[in-house]
Amino acid sequence: MTSTAVGAPPAVLAHNVIKDYGTGEATVRALHGVSVGFARGAFTAIMGPSGSGKSTLMHCLAGLDTVNEGAIRIGDVEITRLSDKQLTHLRRDRIGFIFQAFNLLPTLTAEQNILLPLELSGRTLDRRWFDHVVDTVGLRPRLSHRPSELSGGQQQRVACARALVSRPEVIFADEPTGNLDSKSGAEVLSFLRSSVREMGQTIVMVTHDPVAASYADRVVFLRDGRIITELYGPTPDGVLDTLKSLES
Amino acid sequence: MLKTTLAGLRAHLLRLMLTALAITLGVGFVAGTFVLTDTMKAGFDRQFTASAQKVSVAVLTDDKKIPDATLRAVRAVQGVQDAQGLVRGDAALLGKDGRAYGETPTLGMSIVTGPLARYTITKGRAPGGPGEAVLEKGVAGHTGYRVGDTIRVLDKKGTAHSFTVTGLVDVGVDQEIGFRGAVGFTEPVARQMTGEPGYVEVDVKGAAGVSNDRLRAAVAAAAGPSYTTVTSHGLAKRLAATSGLNVDDIATFFLAFALVALFVAALVIYNTFNILIAQRTREMALLRCVGATRGQVFRGVLVESVVVGLLASVLGVLIGIGLGYGAALIFDSGSGVPGGSLVVSPTPFFVGIPVGLAVTVLSALMPARAATRVPPVAALRTQSEGRVRGRAGIARIVVGALLGVAGVGVAALALTATPGKGPFLEIVAAGALVFLGVIALSPLIVGALSGVVGGLPARVFGVPGRLALANSRRNPKRAAVTTVALTVGVTLMTMFSVALASVRTTADNNIRDHFPVDYRLTAQSGPDDRPIPGAAVAHLRADPQFSAVIEVRTASATVGGRKQDVSSVTQGALGHELKPKISAGSLADLRPGALVLHDDDAKMFGVRVGGTVPVRTAHGTMTLRVAAITSGEESVLPDILLDQSDFTRSFGPKDPEQVYLIAGKGVSADASRAAVNKALRDYPAVRVSSAADIKDQLSKALDQAFLLVAALLALAIVISLIGIANTLTLSVVERTRESALLRALGLTRRGLRRMLSLEALIISLIGALVGVVMGTALGWAAISAAVDDAALGLPVGRIVLFILLAAVAGVVAAIMPGRRAARTSIVESLAAD
Ligand SMILES: Nc1ncnc2c1ncn2[C@@H]1O[C@H](COP(=O)(O)OP(=O)(O)O)[C@@H](O)[C@H]1O
Ligand SMILES: [Mg+2]
Repeated sequence: MTSTAVGAPPAVLAHNVIKDYGTGEATVRALHGVSVGFARGAFTAIMGPSGSGKSTLMHCLAGLDTVNEGAIRIGDVEITRLSDKQLTHLRRDRIGFIFQAFNLLPTLTAEQNILLPLELSGRTLDRRWFDHVVDTVGLRPRLSHRPSELSGGQQQRVACARALVSRPEVIFADEPTGNLDSKSGAEVLSFLRSSVREMGQTIVMVTHDPVAASYADRVVFLRDGRIITELYGPTPDGVLDTLKSLES
Repeated sequence: MLKTTLAGLRAHLLRLMLTALAITLGVGFVAGTFVLTDTMKAGFDRQFTASAQKVSVAVLTDDKKIPDATLRAVRAVQGVQDAQGLVRGDAALLGKDGRAYGETPTLGMSIVTGPLARYTITKGRAPGGPGEAVLEKGVAGHTGYRVGDTIRVLDKKGTAHSFTVTGLVDVGVDQEIGFRGAVGFTEPVARQMTGEPGYVEVDVKGAAGVSNDRLRAAVAAAAGPSYTTVTSHGLAKRLAATSGLNVDDIATFFLAFALVALFVAALVIYNTFNILIAQRTREMALLRCVGATRGQVFRGVLVESVVVGLLASVLGVLIGIGLGYGAALIFDSGSGVPGGSLVVSPTPFFVGIPVGLAVTVLSALMPARAATRVPPVAALRTQSEGRVRGRAGIARIVVGALLGVAGVGVAALALTATPGKGPFLEIVAAGALVFLGVIALSPLIVGALSGVVGGLPARVFGVPGRLALANSRRNPKRAAVTTVALTVGVTLMTMFSVALASVRTTADNNIRDHFPVDYRLTAQSGPDDRPIPGAAVAHLRADPQFSAVIEVRTASATVGGRKQDVSSVTQGALGHELKPKISAGSLADLRPGALVLHDDDAKMFGVRVGGTVPVRTAHGTMTLRVAAITSGEESVLPDILLDQSDFTRSFGPKDPEQVYLIAGKGVSADASRAAVNKALRDYPAVRVSSAADIKDQLSKALDQAFLLVAALLALAIVISLIGIANTLTLSVVERTRESALLRALGLTRRGLRRMLSLEALIISLIGALVGVVMGTALGWAAISAAVDDAALGLPVGRIVLFILLAAVAGVVAAIMPGRRAARTSIVESLAAD
C-alpha cells in the first residue's frame, strides 16, 4: 500500500506503524500497521472520520509521539529510535508545525513568533527569504502586533509564515483551518498551496473538510487506524464521495 | 452546591496543599511562640518552686546582713530541724590568663549540703572543706575550667588563694549570677574569702509535722522585725519576681517576627487564590450559566477557603507545638532557661486557628468577588491561559505615590529632629508607609525592573532567556505580589544588617575619636572600688615602650548642690593625647580655680563658659569657673573635670581609678600587651581593655544579634519562596499549551526548565533588589534617627550575599515546577483545553 511520487525518495515515510494508547484491557489501538509515504514538494491531505487516527498518525510522523511498532523516516533519518533530545533537535531543524489553534506565544510579537524556530536552532536569518514569506502571507503591517491583536486568520497566517521561514523538510498541519471562517480558511489554504507550487515545500495536512482537502495534490483516507484509499488531484465532490463510501 | 465545592476541592487538592503550606508555616510560627513562652513560664515556675520547696521558711534581708546571733536564735526555735545561713559576696575568680574574670568580680557563695541544699551539683561533688570549691556551670564554660583543675580566687583584700574544683553547680535562673558568675565554697571558706560579716538569707527546715505557717511565725519572732520571714511559697514567688526574666518580652519579640511571617503568608495565599480563581473563571462561569447564582458561586469559594484555612491552621498549630517545644529545648541546653516538659495552653489554638482562617478566607474572597463580577458568557469566552494583562490603574498609582510621599515626608521630619526614641519610631512608621506605597506601585516597579534584571539572561541564554523575561512581565500584578512577598523578608534582613553595620561604624568612630589610647586600665568594678596600685603605675611610667601614661582620679563631691563624681586627669595629656569634643571654651583654661563640664551637666547646672559652680568637699567649698564644655556621647573625659592641684588639695594624694596607656611609635601590639601584663602581674584585679578588645566584643555581640534576627526572618523568606514555587507551578499549568507548542517547535526539555528557572531568577532578583534598596534606606534612616552622630555602614558583603541567596533560592523554587513542565507529554498537552 506504500505510495510515493515516482522517482525522488519520499520526504516522510511510515512503515507498518502500530500505535496503542493505554495498557491492559483499556488498550486502544489507534494505528493498525500504517504504511504511507509523502513525496517531496507535494501537498498531501490526511482525511477520515473523527477518531480514525489522523492526529495520532501526524503526531507519530512528526516525532511528537512514540510508536509501538514500525519505522518512520524523515528524509534519511529513522526517527523511532531517537532520544527525546534528538527528536527535539530534529523537529527544530527539519519540521514545521501549524496547529488548529493556539499556535502562537502570547508574549511575543508576530515577527518574534515567526522567527522563533530559527532562534531556537541558532540559525542565521535569510532576510530576503523572510521578506518574501512575510509579503506572500501579507503580514507586513502586522509584524509588531501581539497575537491578541490579530484576527484568527491572521494568527494562522503567522503560524504558516513561521512554519515556512525555516525552510523545513516537511510541514505538518493539523486542521489549520478548523477554527477559521471560510474566507480566512481559503486564504490560508491557497497560501499553503502556493508555497508548495512556488517554494517547493512539502506539506502534510490533517483535515476533515473536503473543501480544504481539495487544495492538496493527493488525499490519503484513514478509517479505524488503517489507510483505506487515496485520491490524486482531488475535488471537493470527489473527496465527499470517497468519504461517504468510507462510512458505509 | 456544597457537593460541587467539595468535588472541586478534591480536584485541586495538590494546588491547595501548596497554598495551605504558607498558612501552615505562618500559623505554626505564631502558635510556636505561644507554646515556647508557655513552656518556658511553666519551666521557671517549676524551677523556682522546686528550689523553694527545699526550705520550709526563709529569713530574708534587703541590705543589712543577718548576723550569727540571729542564725543561732532561729536554730533554737521549737520545730526547727535545721537552719543554714547563706553567704554571698565578692570573690574574684582569675581566668586562665591570670586576670580577674568579667567586668565585675565573680560572686563567692556558700554551698549548703544536706536537706537544705537548693542548688544541684551537676558534676563532681560539693566542696568539702578548705582548698575546695565548685564553679557555677556558666562561668566554668566561659573560663574553660573543669572538675579537678586548680583555680585562683581573690579574697576581699585582693590576695589570691588556690582551690581545687570539686564540681560544677547549677544555680538555675539567677540574674546576678548569670551576669557575674559564681564560685561556691563551704560556708566558713566563703565567709573568709568574701569577708562578709553575715548572711544574706537563712534557710530553715521544719521538723516533721510542723506547718510552714506556724513555723514562719515562730521564726519571724526569733529573727526580729528587721528581716522578712517567708514560707517556701512566698520564697518561690520572690525568686520568680527577682529572676529578672520577663517571658512576656520574649513573647512580644517572637510575635513580631511571627506577624511578619503571617503577612508574607497572606501575600502568598492571596496570590495563589487569585491565580486559582482566575484559572477557574470559566468553571465558575459554566456553573452560573447552568443556573448557579452569583451568591452561590461566591459561597462555594467561601466554603472552599474555610476548609483549606481550617485544615492549614490546625496543622499549623500542631506544627507550632512541635516548633515551640524544639525551641524550648534549644533554649534549655543553651542558656539554662528551663525547657522541661511541654506545656500547651489553649492560647495557640484560640489565636492561631482564627488568625489562619481569617487570613485565608479574606485572601480568597477578594479575587472571588472580582471573578463573580465577570458576566458568565464573557468568562466562558476568555481563554484560561493567563493573558498579557493591563498596566497598573491610575488609582493604584495615585495611592502608591501618596503613600510614598507621606512616608518620605515623615522620614524627613524624623531625620531633622534631635535623634532619639521618638524619631526612631517615626522612621518605623515612615518605613511602613513607604512599604505600602511600594506594594501599591509594585506592578510598575516589577515591570520597569524586569527589563534591567532580565536583560542579561535574555542576552546570554537565548530563546529561553527571552521567553523568561517576557513571561515575567506578562502579568505584572501577579509577579508583583510574588515579588513583594520576598521583598518583605529581604528588606527586613537588609535593614537589620545595615543598622547593625551602622552601629558598628558609629561605635568604631567613637572609639577612634574618644578612645585615642591603646589600653585602658580600670579597677574591676564592685561594691568597693579598688584603685589601680601606684606601684603598677610607676612600673608602667618607667617602661620606655609607653609614650604616655595618663591617670584619672575620681572622688565624690557636692557640685551645685548635688552629689557627683568629680575627676582629675594628668594635666599634660589634655588637648594632646586626649582630645574631647569641645562645644565651648578651651581646655587650656583649666587652671586652679576652674573646671570643665560635660554639656549635659552644664545644662543641669544652668551655666555657660565663664559662669561659676560651687564644689563642696571635705576641705570646704570652692567656687570654680567653667573653663570649657565638652560634648558627645562616650567621651574619654570624665563628665566633671577639676584642675589636678585643686583635686589633690581637696581629696589628698590617692591612686588613680583609671589609667590610659599610649604605646610608643613602632611598638608592636604584642610587645605592648606583654609589657602591660608584666606590670600588672601582681594585680590581677586590674582590668585591661584595648580599643581592639572593645571592637571585638561589640563585633561578636552584633553578629549574634544578626544571627538571631536572620534565623527568625528565615521563615518569612521560606514562605515567600513557597509563593514563588506556587506561582510558577500555577503558571506552568496555565501555559501547558504554550509549553507543548514550544516543545513541538524544538525547545528541549532542558530549555523549558531553564526558561522557568530564569523566570524565577528574574522574579527573585527583583524582589531582592527592591528589598536591598529599601532595607538599606530604612536601616540608615532608623540609625540616623536613633543615634547622635550616626555613621552609616554598608555591609556590602552581606548584601551581595542576600542577593545571591535570593537568586539561588528562586532557581531552587523553580525546580519542581520546571520538572513538571518538562515531564508533560507534548501530544496530551496539545489536546488539553
Ligand atoms: N491520549 C489518548 N489516550 C487514549 N486514547 C486515545 C488518545 N488519543 C487518541 N486516542 C484514541 O485513538 C483514536 C484515534 O484518535 P485521533 O488520532 O485523535 O483521531 P482523529 O484525529 O482522527 O479524530 C481514537 O479512538 C481516540 O479515542
Ligand atoms: Mg484530530
